[in-house]
Amino acid sequence: MRVLLIEDDRMLGAAVCDQIVADGHSVDWSTRLDSAGEYLAVAAYDLILLDLMLPDGRGQPFLRKLRERGDATPVIILTALDQISDRIEGLNAGADDYMVKPFDLSELSARLNAVARRYSGNPNPLITRGDLEIDLAARSVRRMGRPVPLTAREWVLLEAFLQRPEQLLSKAQIEERLYSFETEIESNTIEVHVSRLRKKLGRDTIETVRGLGYRLGTA
Amino acid sequence: MKKPTSLQARLALAIGFGISVLWIATALVTTTILRHDMNKVFDSTLEETAQRILPLAALDIINRDEEGIGQRIATLRPHEEFFTYLVRDDQGRVLLRSHKAKDADFPPFNGMGFRQTATHRLYYDVALRGTITIAVAEPLSHRTEMARETLMALMLPLLFVVPVALLGILVVLHRGLRPIRRYSFALSTRGADDLTAVANDELPSEMTPIVQAINQLLERLRRSLEAERSFAANAAHELRTPVAAALAQTQRLIVEADDPATKQRATDIETALKRLNRLSEKLLQLARAEGGRLRTAIAMDVRPVLRMIVADLDAGRGRITLEIPAAPVLSDIDPDAFAVLSRNLIENALKHGADKTPVRVILTDGGLFRVVNDGPLVPADELERFSARFERGQTISSGSGLGLAIARAIADGVQGTLVLHSPAVGLADGFEAVFQLPKSHDV
Repeated sequence: MRVLLIEDDRMLGAAVCDQIVADGHSVDWSTRLDSAGEYLAVAAYDLILLDLMLPDGRGQPFLRKLRERGDATPVIILTALDQISDRIEGLNAGADDYMVKPFDLSELSARLNAVARRYSGNPNPLITRGDLEIDLAARSVRRMGRPVPLTAREWVLLEAFLQRPEQLLSKAQIEERLYSFETEIESNTIEVHVSRLRKKLGRDTIETVRGLGYRLGTA
Repeated sequence: MKKPTSLQARLALAIGFGISVLWIATALVTTTILRHDMNKVFDSTLEETAQRILPLAALDIINRDEEGIGQRIATLRPHEEFFTYLVRDDQGRVLLRSHKAKDADFPPFNGMGFRQTATHRLYYDVALRGTITIAVAEPLSHRTEMARETLMALMLPLLFVVPVALLGILVVLHRGLRPIRRYSFALSTRGADDLTAVANDELPSEMTPIVQAINQLLERLRRSLEAERSFAANAAHELRTPVAAALAQTQRLIVEADDPATKQRATDIETALKRLNRLSEKLLQLARAEGGRLRTAIAMDVRPVLRMIVADLDAGRGRITLEIPAAPVLSDIDPDAFAVLSRNLIENALKHGADKTPVRVILTDGGLFRVVNDGPLVPADELERFSARFERGQTISSGSGLGLAIARAIADGVQGTLVLHSPAVGLADGFEAVFQLPKSHDV
């Protein structure tokens, strides 16, 4: 999942970025609304984390404009404004969730995944495919009842396929979803991750469509 | 006697008194002048009468057969006689007297002119070279009576004029003070937090300085309240962001640290940061509750707020049961104030309620908000302490009871009632907080 963080506090932003990356997602971080607009213009994000008080304006109008453009990217507001009226205003502006600072990073991770699941049209965190039982909330996979340990990257890749079960994902699409602008990507990175996933979860989990990309295997 | 404080009474009293004094003085002066003039007229009448009667009397006496015989003039018709007269000869014998004349009223002749006795005013005259004298008398009581009647005639209207004047003053003042009454009614019935200037278009111009002063005072009050409010809001924001940053960094450190000692230390910092956060949050809530805007101009449905708070605090654990009516529950309590109040009451119930037992949150159609939890009985004196108003300077380090104090401050601020029960209503033990939401007041 590719996340855009809009937060002007350097120390908080850095910790949140670390947390998101540790969860296996990629993140771009903007400290201003105008540069956030530039990021949004050139990349597709799965989630936006939005602070409400930024040096060049407030988050609510920014969010409202985003929604008016028809952009349905999930947005979680991260703010120090704790009043219930701020919260209602934020949700009315089109936010999907609202977190008051200070928050637990583990709570942030949970909400992040919940919002992502909601948008993939699969709010149920438990998925069964063939001999695989996948718990999206707990980020655990069991194969034939036995837990399979996945790295964060492998997990995010699997999640990307699970979110669009019928859809073909090109290598470029996967790269964009998984890596932020700063990350250097080796040409065969995606292939390496796919082959590791196949090794852990079974050959048929992910199909290769020659010359086009990958797709979730028919269970 | 206590001085009346009402402007109406004071004016009525002063004007009533003034009119009376002026009127009486005028009447007295008029009477005195009249009396003086009347005396002159009466004196001249006395003199005239004497001079008219004397020649007739002399003629009558000269033509008499006998000398020295007193004669009383017969009365043609009965009538009131103001003037009486007596004709005497030089030996003092009475020759002629008017029909009501009493000899005792006429002192012996002692020269021409006016004389006055204790009871009468007299005029003496002589004829026939001193052989006949006449004395005409008028009783003094006649003049006094006249003067008294004049005075009465002048004074009597006062009995009518003063009440009418007072009534007039009352009516005019009552009408004149109507805008002032309307103004004070508008002031007294406006919402607790309405600090906008009061319109003063129709007030008498004498009131303008006062109204302006009140409006300036309201404006100053509004500004200082605004400052306090925005301080609380800003302080919340300014505090939260650095604490959030420190907490997030610490949590990353806990995850990333390999050394168990470092991990432990970071965990300790995390605990301290969370405590710092909780405490600053409660203090800010208290500051808001005591200084803030707690009622709104428009009544709103409080159910969404309550749902949000319960969802927040329950976080899927299912310990809170929410009983809420299907129809909107309207109140003009500020949604943020209600959020803080309900959050504190529910948090308190979750914290002090017996472990894992459900907390019931009930909102009725009538705006009665109840939070009920199981648990041991709270001793009466402790309940009393919880019910007391929070006082600054009280220790809050433990944080116990602060939540209830915040709820209490909000309840007081919105003129609502917060009652604490232990045992809970209808139960053998447990604890219950009952808050009656303020009804919207339409002004």
